[in-house]
Amino acid sequence: MNLTAGQELPELVKHPTTRQLVQYAGAQGDFYEIHYDQAYAQSVALPGVILHGLLKAGFLGQLVTDWLGDRGQLKNFEVSYRGIDVPGRPYRCRGRVTKVDGDQVELEVWGEDLDGRRTTVGSATVEMKS
Amino acid sequence: MSATTSVVERLRARIGVAAQPTEAAVEAGHLKRFAEAIGDDNPRWQSEAPPTFLVALAPVSLHLSEAEEYGKGWLNGGNRFEYFEPVKVGDRVTATGKVADVYEKTGASGSLLFIIFETEYVNQHGRTVARLRGTAIRR
Repeated sequence: MNLTAGQELPELVKHPTTRQLVQYAGAQGDFYEIHYDQAYAQSVALPGVILHGLLKAGFLGQLVTDWLGDRGQLKNFEVSYRGIDVPGRPYRCRGRVTKVDGDQVELEVWGEDLDGRRTTVGSATVEMKS
Repeated sequence: MSATTSVVERLRARIGVAAQPTEAAVEAGHLKRFAEAIGDDNPRWQSEAPPTFLVALAPVSLHLSEAEEYGKGWLNGGNRFEYFEPVKVGDRVTATGKVADVYEKTGASGSLLFIIFETEYVNQHGRTVARLRGTAIRR
């Protein structure tokens, strides 16, 4: 497959639940209460429990590795969390190729909510097998 | 000097000081639980770590309890991974973290404290497999 700037990655839509947040808290070992205790989350001025930033990074990592397969290696992966996301709302992971320079391919990735608000933005660099 | 200023100054004194390294084995069961929690059923993760797995192997942020004197809660501002070698089941990985920077920003909704962490991951062969940079925010 010929890669060119502008190509979009097949999108990945996640449907996070509170159960998944607890599952992720256990798997990562991050037991900060804002991810499973509604009353605690509200006490620190959040609307309720929110997704772990690193869970959203995990979703975007999957977006990239699903697209990449065994065609190359992920070299860099960077995400910035711009807004909160709550369980019960779909989380849409998207990305596109921004630059192709020989074997080096740069990607823009982002996660957006139902309103199209980009709550997580990031980038990745992959090295394609020659 | 305000209370929050002194917290910032105490934290700044930690910049560049490496924390005690922690060593952990990459276990198949842990990889499975981690991939399941993300909902990623790629069979590749039966033997290899997915991109963000290293955060589950060792604490990503150093326990800077002093920082909790500042503001009400933590937010994760971002993460940056650099990969050098694949991480496989059976690897033993040593993580060494340090505080790279501490600074305060004041905006319309109040003050925020930014703590930048860096962690280096080295495998049993002494090879650096990855580096992670994270931004923890107190608000």
